[in-house]
Formats: sequence, C-alpha cells, structure tokens
Amino acid sequence: MKKEKSTVENKYNHKVISRLFKMAAPYRIWFIVAGISLIFASGAELTLPILLQRTIDRNIMTEWSWIDESLMEEELWSETVSENEHFVLGSKVYLRTVDIPLKKDSEINRLREKDTLSSEAWYVFQSNKAELSLILETGIQMEVSEDNTTGALLLSDLKKVDQELYKQIRSSDFSGLRRNTILYFILLTVILLFSFVQIYSMSWTSQGVMKDLRLKMLSHIMNQSLRYLGETPVGTLVSRITSDVETINEFFTSVTISILKDLAIMIGVLIALWVLNPMLAAITIITIPPVLIATVVFRNMARNAYRSQRHWIGKVNGFISEHITGIEVIQIFGQEKRAREEFHHNNRSLLDASLSEMYVFAIFRPLVDLFRSISMGVVIYWGAGMFGRGILTLGVLIAFIDLIQKFYRPVMDMSEKFTIMQSAMAGGERIFQILDEDHSIVDSGKDPLPENISGSLEFRDVHFAYKNDDYVLKNLSFKAKAGDNIAIVGYTGAGKTTVASLATRLWDIQSGQILLDQKNIKDYPLQSLRQTIQSVQQDVFLFAGTVAENIALGSDIPMEQIRKAAEQVQADPFIQRMENGYNSLIHERGSNLSAGQRQLLSFARVLAHNPEVLILDEATASIDSETEKLVQNAMDKILKGRTSLVIAHRISTIQKADKILVLSQGELVEQGTHEELIARKDLYYKLYKLQYESKSA
Amino acid sequence: MTRSLFLCIFRIMLKEYKTLVPYLKKYLIYYIAGIFCLVITDAGLLYIPQFIKKAINSVSVGAFELSLIGRYMIQMVMLAILISIGRFFWRFFIHGASRRIETELREKIFYHLLDMSSAFYGEHKTGDIMARMTNDMKAIRMASGMAFVAFIDGLFMALAILVILFTSYSRLTLITIIPLPFITIIVLFAGKMLGKRFKRVQEAYSAISERVQESFSGISVIKTFTQEEHFLNEFGRDNDEYWAANMSLIRIWGFIFPVVSFLSGITVCLLLLYGGSQLMMNQLNPGNFVAVMSYLAMLIWPMLGAGFTVNLIQRGGASLKRINQILEVEPEISNGESPRDVPIFKELTVNSLNYTFHGSGDSVINDLTLTLRAGETLGILGKTGSGKTTFIRLLPRILESEEGQIHYNGIPLHSLELSSLRSSIAMVPQETILFSRSIRENILYSKEDASEEELARVVHISTLDRDLKNFPDGMETQVGERGVSLSGGQKQRIAFARALLADPELLILDDALSAVDTKTEEFILKELVKLRKGKTNIIISHRVSTLQVSNKILVLRKGSIGQYGSHKELSRQDGLYKRIFDLQSMEQEEQS
Repeated sequence: MKKEKSTVENKYNHKVISRLFKMAAPYRIWFIVAGISLIFASGAELTLPILLQRTIDRNIMTEWSWIDESLMEEELWSETVSENEHFVLGSKVYLRTVDIPLKKDSEINRLREKDTLSSEAWYVFQSNKAELSLILETGIQMEVSEDNTTGALLLSDLKKVDQELYKQIRSSDFSGLRRNTILYFILLTVILLFSFVQIYSMSWTSQGVMKDLRLKMLSHIMNQSLRYLGETPVGTLVSRITSDVETINEFFTSVTISILKDLAIMIGVLIALWVLNPMLAAITIITIPPVLIATVVFRNMARNAYRSQRHWIGKVNGFISEHITGIEVIQIFGQEKRAREEFHHNNRSLLDASLSEMYVFAIFRPLVDLFRSISMGVVIYWGAGMFGRGILTLGVLIAFIDLIQKFYRPVMDMSEKFTIMQSAMAGGERIFQILDEDHSIVDSGKDPLPENISGSLEFRDVHFAYKNDDYVLKNLSFKAKAGDNIAIVGYTGAGKTTVASLATRLWDIQSGQILLDQKNIKDYPLQSLRQTIQSVQQDVFLFAGTVAENIALGSDIPMEQIRKAAEQVQADPFIQRMENGYNSLIHERGSNLSAGQRQLLSFARVLAHNPEVLILDEATASIDSETEKLVQNAMDKILKGRTSLVIAHRISTIQKADKILVLSQGELVEQGTHEELIARKDLYYKLYKLQYESKSA
Repeated sequence: MTRSLFLCIFRIMLKEYKTLVPYLKKYLIYYIAGIFCLVITDAGLLYIPQFIKKAINSVSVGAFELSLIGRYMIQMVMLAILISIGRFFWRFFIHGASRRIETELREKIFYHLLDMSSAFYGEHKTGDIMARMTNDMKAIRMASGMAFVAFIDGLFMALAILVILFTSYSRLTLITIIPLPFITIIVLFAGKMLGKRFKRVQEAYSAISERVQESFSGISVIKTFTQEEHFLNEFGRDNDEYWAANMSLIRIWGFIFPVVSFLSGITVCLLLLYGGSQLMMNQLNPGNFVAVMSYLAMLIWPMLGAGFTVNLIQRGGASLKRINQILEVEPEISNGESPRDVPIFKELTVNSLNYTFHGSGDSVINDLTLTLRAGETLGILGKTGSGKTTFIRLLPRILESEEGQIHYNGIPLHSLELSSLRSSIAMVPQETILFSRSIRENILYSKEDASEEELARVVHISTLDRDLKNFPDGMETQVGERGVSLSGGQKQRIAFARALLADPELLILDDALSAVDTKTEEFILKELVKLRKGKTNIIISHRVSTLQVSNKILVLRKGSIGQYGSHKELSRQDGLYKRIFDLQSMEQEEQS
C-alpha cells in the first residue's frame, strides 16, 4: 500500500519536473551556461587533488627506478617508456617509480630477482659536465650519460651532497613545483569564476521561472469563476502564489543543480580514485555501502520529522494569528486562561517535534563523519601496506585522503536535500493542480455591444444553483424596459443578491436566458458586458490606496468625475474632512473608515464608472438614516434614464419603482407597482405591514 | 578594529539580550554540559591529523611494521567514535537549550499579548506581530544556539590549531594562514550588505503577498469593474521588484561561498609551494605536511564561524529589540492592587466621563453622566462617530477610562477584579469574530461547561436552529477557512448566541443584528427580553424599531447626552430621535 503510493508519487514527480523544465525553456541559455559552468567547476575541483598528487610524486618526493634494456622487447615496457619521461644510461632505462606499470608484488619481486628492475630508489637529473664532475668529486657514485647531460645517483646518496649543490641538482623539481603551484592557483580561480557564474545563472533561471509562474497563476486564478473562488479559501490561494512558488526556487538552486553537482563530485571522486589506483579505489568503495544505507534510512526519518515539525509550526502560527485577530473576544469573555492553556499545548508539541527533528540530524551528521573516519583508517592501513610493497606512492595516498574528504562532504546534506526536494515537488504539484483546473466563465462573446445601448434587461426562465441541485432561483422571468427602475424585495435568502451577480455574469446560469438589449449576455464580450452593467455590492471591499484610487479603481477617470460621484452619494463632506482629502490613504480593509463611509465610497465607485445599467444591492444598509435620506434624494437624478435594479430590505426606499418583484425562496411570487401589490394583500402587503407596524408600535 | 567590534557586540548584548538572561540562567546546566561536549569533540578532532601524520611518517621512512599502522588507525577510529558521541551531545544540549528558550519565550510573548489592550492592537498590525513571532524568533534561536556554538567552537579550535601549528611549524604557518583572516573580513562585510539586501527581499515578498491577498479578497469587485488587467499590471511591478531584490541578494550571497573556498584553496596553494620546498630540502616530513594540510582545512570553519557569529548575534540583537518592543509595553489595562470581587450588579453610574484616543486631539466622550439600574434595558442611538461604540467599550474596560468616572454598585471600576468584571459584562461587538472551530465550540467559547439545555436555548433564541438544519454537519460544522462560508447574518447570530450563553449581568449589543432581517430581529429581541428578565442590557442600533424594547433611550451627540428618556418622551421632543422617528414615519405615510 505504502509502496504503491510512493510510485504514484514518483510518477507525478516526473511530470512536475518535466513541466518545471518546460517553464524554464525561455531561460535555457542561462540553464546551459549554468550546466557548463558546473562541469568546469567540478572538473577543476577534482583536478586539484590530482595536481597535488602529481606535484608530490613527480617533483617533491620524486624517485626513479631502472629497468634493463632487455625488457624493452616486451610491449608493456616499450609503451610505458615511450609514454613517460625516461633516460637511457648504458643498458639501463630510468623511469619514475610512479610510472612503473606493475601493480602486483610477485611480478616486482620476480623482476628484481632477475636483476632487470632496480631494487633501490634512484634520482635522475639533467645537468652539464661541470656540475656532474663537481658531484663526482665528492666521491658519490653516479652513473653519467655518454653526452654528459644526465646523471643518476642513489636517492640515499643525494641527501649527502651539500645544500647548494642539492638545490642545483633538483632545480628542475623546484621549477616544476613553482609551475604546479601557479597551475593550482589558476584552477582555484577557474573554480571561483565558474562557481559564481553557475550560481548566478541558475538563480537567473529559477527567479525568472518563479516570476513567470506567479504572474501566470495570478492571471489564471483571477479569471476563475466566483463559484471556484468562493469555495477556495483566500489564504490557500495566497500561499499557492507565494510560499509554494518559493519552493520552486529550492527545486532549481538547491535540488537540481546541487544534487547534480554532488553526484558529479561523488562520481568524479570515484573515477579519480580509480585512475590513481584501482585496487585502493576498490577498497575505498567497499567502505561506502554503510553510508548509503544510513542515508536511505535517515531520509525517511528526516522526512517524517520535517513534516511533523512543519505541521506544528503551522498550528502554532495559525493559533497566534487567530488569537491576535480575535483578542477582543478572548478579553470580553475572560478566556485568557484557556487561550494560555491551549497555546501551551500546541507550543510544547512544536517543541517536541523540533527536538525530534534536531535529534535525527544530531545522529546522522556525526554518523556520516564516523563513516568517513573509518573509510580513511581503512584506506591508510591498506595504502600503507601497498606503499611498503612499493606499489603505491605517497602522493597517491595523500590524494586518496583528500578525495575521501571530498566524497563524504555531499553525503552530509544529501538527506536534507531529499527533504527539500520532496517539499519542492509537493509545492510544484499544488501549483500545477491550480493551473490545470479551469473554472473560468467562458468569454465566448464576439458581438460587440452597440454604441448606444438602450439598457433593456430581461430574465427568461432562469434557473440557478450555487451548488448541485439546490436551486436558489427557479424559473425566474421578468423584463426591464430601457430606463426602467425595478425593485426586488423578499426575506433574507430569497435569492435577491443572486439576481445581481447573474446579470453581470459573475456566475453563469444553469438554464434559461438573460438578455441585454434583446441579446443573450453570453454573446457579448465579458469585459464590455461588465462595463455596461455594474452593481454596488452588499459586501464593501476597499483596497489599500488613496480615496481617489479606490473610486477610480484603475480606470482612467478624471478627478472631476470622481469628485462629482462622491458628491452625489454625500461622501464628499467626510472625504474633505480627511487629512489629505481625496489623496488620504485608506488602511488595510478600510479600517480607518466607518461601515457607512465605506459603503458610500463603494457607491461612488460605481457612479464614477457611469454604467448604463445600475444594480444597487442594499447599497445604503449601513448608512445612518439622515445621510440615507440625502442619498435617496440624489438617487432620483442618478436613476433617471438609466435602467436599474434596486434590492432592498426596506420597502420605503423602493415604492416609487416602476415595477416591484417579490421573491420568495427563489421564485417570483408577485410583481407590479407598489399600489397594485398593496391592493393584492399578499406577501408584499405582509412585508409592508410588518415594517409599518414595528415602526409605529 | 577587533576592539571596537567586540565593544559593539557587547553593547548590543547588554541592551537587548537582557531578556534572555533568565532563560540562559535556567538552562545554564545545558550550556555547561554542551560546552564540555563541544570541547571534547574539538580536542578529538584536533588529534585526528596526528594519527595520519604518524602513519604517513612511519610509512615514508621506509621500513615499518604494518601492525603499527593498524594500531594507529584503530585508535583513530576509536577517537572518531568518541567525537561522534560528543557531537551528538553538544547538539543535544545546546540546540536543545536554544529550542526550549525559543518555546518559552514565544509562550511569554503570547501570554503578554493576551493582556494587551485594543490601543496596542491599533498600533501593531497582525502581520507585523506575526513577523516578530516567526522570523524574529528564528533569529533569536540562531543567536542563542548556532551563534553560541560557532563562537565557542571557533574560538577554541582556532586558538588550539594556531598553537599547534605555530609551535611546530612557525614559518610555514605564518605564510599559509595569510588568506584565512580575509574569510572573516569578507563574511563580516558581506553580512552588512546582505542584511540590507535581505530586508529588501523581505519587503518585496510582503508586498507581493499583500497584493495577492487583496486581489483575491476583493476579486468580485475587480471582476465587476473588469480591472483584472490593472491588478495584474500592479502585481507585475511588485513581482519585478521582488525578482530584482532577489537577484541583488544573490550577487553577494552567491559570491561568499566560492570566495571562501577560493581563499581556503589559496592556503593549500601556499602550503604546496613553501611546504613542498621544505619537504624537498628535508626540513619537513611528509606526514607533517599532511597534518598541516588537515589543520589548515580545520581552520576554515572557525574563520567562517567568526564572521557568522558576529552576524548572527547582531541579527539576534535586532530581533530581540523588536521582541522587547512588545514585551516592554506594560498592559494598559490590568488589575489594580488587591482587586475586589465583583458583586451582583445593582447599578452602574457614569460620572462626567471623558475619553480621548491616543494621538488625536478631539475627545470622543464629553462629560457624560448616566445611571443604569439592574433590570433596565438602555437603548443608544447616534450618528456615525457620536461615540456609541467607544462608550460601551469603556464599561468592561476594553478601553480604559480615567479612574473614578465609572462606578459599579458605587465601587470604582478600576478596583474590581478585571476578569470577573468582564465576565459580568459581556458584549457583542459590531464586527463579528469567530474562531476556526466548529459552531458548537464557538458558541461554547464563552462558557465551556454549559449544559446541552442552555446551549439549545441560545441556539433557539438566535434562530440558529433553522440554519443548522441546512448544514450537513449541524453544530459540528467548521467555521472559517476550511468550513462552509457563513453569511453575515449567520455569523452575527453565532456571536450573539455566544454572548447570550455567558448569561452576564450586563449584556451589550453593539449594532449586533444589523445583518439580520427585521422579522427575525423582532423575534430575537422579544425572546431576549423574556429570557433576561431582571438582567440588564444595552442595545445600540440605527433602527428605531430595535430601540423600542428599551426602557430608556440615550441619544448620543458628539460624545455627550443629546437626549435621554423613554421612546414616548423622545418621540415628542425636538431632536435627533424625533427627526429619525419622523423620517421613518414619513416613509410609512408615503407607503400608506
């Protein structure tokens, strides 16, 4: 079962990865640059220990052996000699001991017994006649080439010559050392430059992909229908665009490139070990499996610990934020003690989770380090044995010690990276899920709205449900001639507000038709439809910004028109009283305005946009009676010649309407003028009486 | 330079770290044990190269016993085991202590926040407090854990390695360590630049989150006005800024580690040149060469650590400052010395009450005098901004009045025990706040041990029973993010039921049923009066119909009594009440 799940997970991971790479396509040049830089940087990094080894073996600790000319008949030897630096002195061919192609003790011993391979260490150097004779004068035994340019002496004898002469003899080694040091420095510079280029270009890629993703997601989500947006909590959508996209960064920088780099280094180390000495490399590799096993085991532990910690962090932070928002409720009911207790519980669980996460790492890191020491101990022990038998040089042994350190460094945080990858994958999965779901209102309308739209509106057999078959509106039909003022009344939940949302296609209806100027609203482009029909909504939303910005809302509306709209709805006086008038900043969610003032601004917003059809949904509910009276007076002017739908609790505000629709449980039960409906003595009459009585009681 | 640096650190530590002192004292034993393990680990680490040196030296001499090498290596592995154990335990102790300190400090701040008044929450946005509770707490944890380890570890290791190196190979060491101080200097300088850039990234990130949050919260407005394009463009600008901020951070951040590896590579380079020459001149053994190489590699971390320690401690100091800013705010409203128990409510007297908000000159309540007796219901009417909400918030001391202006049964409000005062005066605020729990838990929030009968009664009075039938999970329906979206009226009635369940001596409704239709409101108010016979209520409303259940009605005008009397009296008196009453009567006449 568990395994099954993980394979599904893996399958999805592949999809996520390939889609992420597709997103990176516009940045492929940067990606390629990063890849090339990575190869150069890792290559140079692995060359360092090899250069060190060569310097030690060929310059610093150099020693030579000779073989007898007779061996040159064998292909092995003739090839080795021609490939490497060598000197021929008499019947002996001198080669660096490092270059001797024998790796088995038995072969070496066999040749030594036959006296075709030197059993002592020699030193061979190029020189001139004067220098050579100077050495000979000291009484040291030395073989000299016929042309007096090369000398060979026993390594043990070399130490006997005085310092000046010693330096002269080894001058080529000294210059080799300097040359290699410079080379080492160049390699370091290469690593520095390419590492930086790699980090920078990879960040360019990932930051670019993230930027594109965020924009793509916002535009995608904003185009979704309110049906979808209403079902998905805002907090969830926000974290998709912010924190989930952030994990994509980890995917590119920490995961892709750094796992590639780690693998490159680890494989590179193994190859380098193999090149240097296959046998010692094999022994080194034997010591690796325990680390791999530990890593795999640890990977699961780390993932669980990480998840549990994330879970509790979310809990604690959610708790704090909710209780800060609701602090008043806690204080009003004197529930501080309870809040303390609940917080204590969550906070302690978080501590336990973070401690277990810490323990997991506290065990793993030192464990890997221990494995490294064991590896090193084994290599030094075997290496020493091989060195003793003359089949390994000191430089190679030192290079091994260096390379093993390099091998274990990435292992240390491999598991951490897997965890990061997991969360990056999960983030990516959530992002693509959002992008894959399309619940947008289809904007299929091609017919442009006529220039002089009359504004007649008709609902024809409209059925609508927010969810499944729970019809909020049933078989609703009514007609508003151009310039008509239609009122809708009914109890809460009768479906009044829904009518407003349907006319602007915030929701699409299940069956029936809504016609604007005798044409189905679906045939108009969404944007021009919504510019023609606009509503003052019950729920007021103000954006952070100035008063004027909130009225214009991004449209290019001249200041005069903004002011005029504000004056019409009686908002101008309080705006003028604000510190900077129309340029005053509105706080988060309009918290520096009263509920009534917020509603007036929302009203002004619609008037400033001057729509042909106006819908007022309880537009004056939070406004005090006196102001409301003033707004009502202005309303006659506002509504003149404009088709309008007015939704209201209070019958007093709508009695002048051309037609009043009475809704009950989604159905149109009565319609007519105020007088007609009163005369019918039915539901409207009851509503009217109810309000009348409560006021005069 | 170093002197001033230390002074600087010391200054910060003295000023801001005092908050941590009690915790450091509490976990002193953890720190001591941690340091002990750390020192043992470090000492072990320092000895490892000695084994390698001995092994290589014996090998390079020529004739050697392989068993001797074996013995060295086994000793080395044994030491490595000891080091691993030491490593586990210093993490156990020091990280354990820093995690515990973080937990306890978070608890302390949260408890403190619970006692803060609304004046405090007016000044600090939720987002800001949350940032302090998350990011700043993390910085403090790093300062009390990682920075501490880096400091001790770095100091001990650096000194020990330098001593070992200088005593044995003074000239070679002097030359090869030249690049290492630069690591510290670079980390220090980069830290300063990083701080600024990091802040820019954080700010840009907040801007993005806020913009997205706002766009989704106001999506229906955006759609209605077809401003999707406009908001996408605005977001695009924030998005570009965030990108630019990140790239500017990476230009420095991406350089640090390559530079550190470069500098540490230079030490090996220098060792190769000078150590190599010494090897050739037989002034140095190959084993010693390897040992010096290992020691130099070990020096890199302390050099890095020194730079990071300073950064971590600075950052921790800055974060502690932000935490201290919260902790140093004394609770504005708290119990006085020896608070008195709250007796059964008889009478509330308000005597020339005045109130002015911080930082604004205009007083909201002006010389208000009033008496409210047990069993009465007081209605309050007034224009927006007339001080209705402010007045009723002064009663349960959500806002703080000057001492002696309000008396409860003749006892000054300030000398009563705060939490029992608040449990005898419950309020349903204008803005409904529910917790993301089930409806049942939300209602029970005011009285955990309420019986099912009591619960059923308040559910009935608030007419919630009708709505609950339509929820698949009934009372267990979750409120908030993951739950169904409740209508404004439903939320208001849940909050109302919650207050009613507490059965307080004095119940205050602050325009608490504005989203409920007239018919339902009428039912609720009738039942309320019936249920709360003998108890006291204050009702604020715009609707005259609502206020008619009151015995007395107070019309507030600019924070003082405009009118006061029964509905009958006031409806005959010239003034705001009559005007509004007439306004509504006029509507009725027009209708009839």
